Amino acid sequence: MCLTDIQQHMREAVVTGRAEQIMPFLSAATDVRNRLAIHQRNYESSLVNALLGKFPGTAWLVGTPFLREMARRFVRESPPHAPCIAEYGEAFPNLFAQSPAADHVPYLCAFAQLEWNIGHVAIAVDQPALTIEELSEIDPSLLPQMTLTLQHGLRYMAASWPVDELMKLYLTETAPDHLQMEPSDVSLEIRGSSGEFHFNRLDAADFIFRSTIAAGERIADAAERALGTNPAFDFGQSLISLILSGFVIGESR
Amino acid sequence: MEMESMSLSNAAGIGLRLPHILEVAATRPHVGWLEIHPENFLANPHAAELLCELSEHYPVSFHTVGISIGSASGIDNNHLKRIRNLVQRINPVFVSGHLAWSTFKHEYLNDLLPLPYNAEALQLVEAHLHKVQDNLGRSYLIENPSSYIGFTTSTMSEVEFLSELVRRTGCSLLCDVSNIHVSAQNMGFDAHTYIDDLPSNAISELHLGGYTPEEGLLIDTHAAPISKDAWDLYAYAVRRFGPKPTLIEWDNDIPPLTTLLAEAKHAEHIAVEASLKEVRVVSH
Repeated sequence: MCLTDIQQHMREAVVTGRAEQIMPFLSAATDVRNRLAIHQRNYESSLVNALLGKFPGTAWLVGTPFLREMARRFVRESPPHAPCIAEYGEAFPNLFAQSPAADHVPYLCAFAQLEWNIGHVAIAVDQPALTIEELSEIDPSLLPQMTLTLQHGLRYMAASWPVDELMKLYLTETAPDHLQMEPSDVSLEIRGSSGEFHFNRLDAADFIFRSTIAAGERIADAAERALGTNPAFDFGQSLISLILSGFVIGESR
Repeated sequence: MEMESMSLSNAAGIGLRLPHILEVAATRPHVGWLEIHPENFLANPHAAELLCELSEHYPVSFHTVGISIGSASGIDNNHLKRIRNLVQRINPVFVSGHLAWSTFKHEYLNDLLPLPYNAEALQLVEAHLHKVQDNLGRSYLIENPSSYIGFTTSTMSEVEFLSELVRRTGCSLLCDVSNIHVSAQNMGFDAHTYIDDLPSNAISELHLGGYTPEEGLLIDTHAAPISKDAWDLYAYAVRRFGPKPTLIEWDNDIPPLTTLLAEAKHAEHIAVEASLKEVRVVSH
């Protein structure tokens, strides 16, 4: 059997637990299956623990045993695609939406997404921001066609539940014994760098404008979408606010 | 501490993990050098920035865990490029990785999986080693793995495989003394003979890490102090290879920084003692 086949069968054994095809090619003085299980455990436990480490707030919300079971399922179904475990788990919250727990905790997926985004922005490093003076030198007629690059420690997310309030309760350890969550649309800007983070709500038009810019679309398109949400939206003022916040680190025409 | 005042050749270093990075940056403890897993820094710009600062005060070594030099499905070019970018930024004294594989096609299995030791695997590792060294523009040290299982398709021992790899490529080796002890116990070979059979001139670095006994096997957990057996084997390795940069690895259940520093001090003490014994043996 060639090396590719051996590694294919080994992959099956490690990720899914199906070891029947690799077993004839393994050797050891004592129980081969127990020894193979060491590698199976290394794979599962290292990734499960990595996920638990990234979602402590979610564990607080639903309990570690449940989260661990979901993490086990996730690592079996979705192995990492790159050797940077820091990047692994962005899709993990989506698994909650498919689980029966979503019926009881319908905001679980959004809460976990907020937690992922917080973790992402907190390890970013700020880049030098463009100043209003630098941008004022640009011909105003070119502005609508420009795209802007924002700080890496910025994320935008919308949710149908006030998960930001829930996150604040977790972070400040001030959760009451009983909390009645009511659905309500929230548009969040999550900002962080060098180990720090914060998040705040934006009004719907400003959220559309900023998140569209962050997605790499033209200023004109972002403004048009924002105006579609609120015809009174002042995109000039919103653009200035974005720049004065130090969020813009690059532009391309 | 200034880098010029340190001699890497006789120093012991510690594996710098993320829980300690702020403390090391703030206190700058006296330690010979630092080794990091670059994969922990590629997607963490804040940690990479701190590492960049630390590299101005300590020699830094890269110990890769994701290059996967034994993967039959090839080396991940994107990952290699990211490692190269960090290498160019930090300029580490060594870059090393394991005689193992961890990626299959586009999946990363987050473990160091074993290879059969035969001509096909040797040819593959040789080709990948050339590719990695060409891409990084520097030597890439190969570390002996800790083993739990072998393959019926193996036609040579691990030490024969490594020696042939050195003969073919001129590569250097990172000799993990604890891995030799773990593998010798698990696979039933003599650890001292293994050390005797390694090509001495190729050894550039030594590793020591803790293991955990479990159901008659030793598991390479890097979650415990170095055992007396491993220290004794380390002294034997120093007598055989001479003093080498030695690293204390501790990756799970990470203790206070002071514990790691004390282990590094102990490694330096044992290396000095072992070197003196070697001199006495030579002078007889």
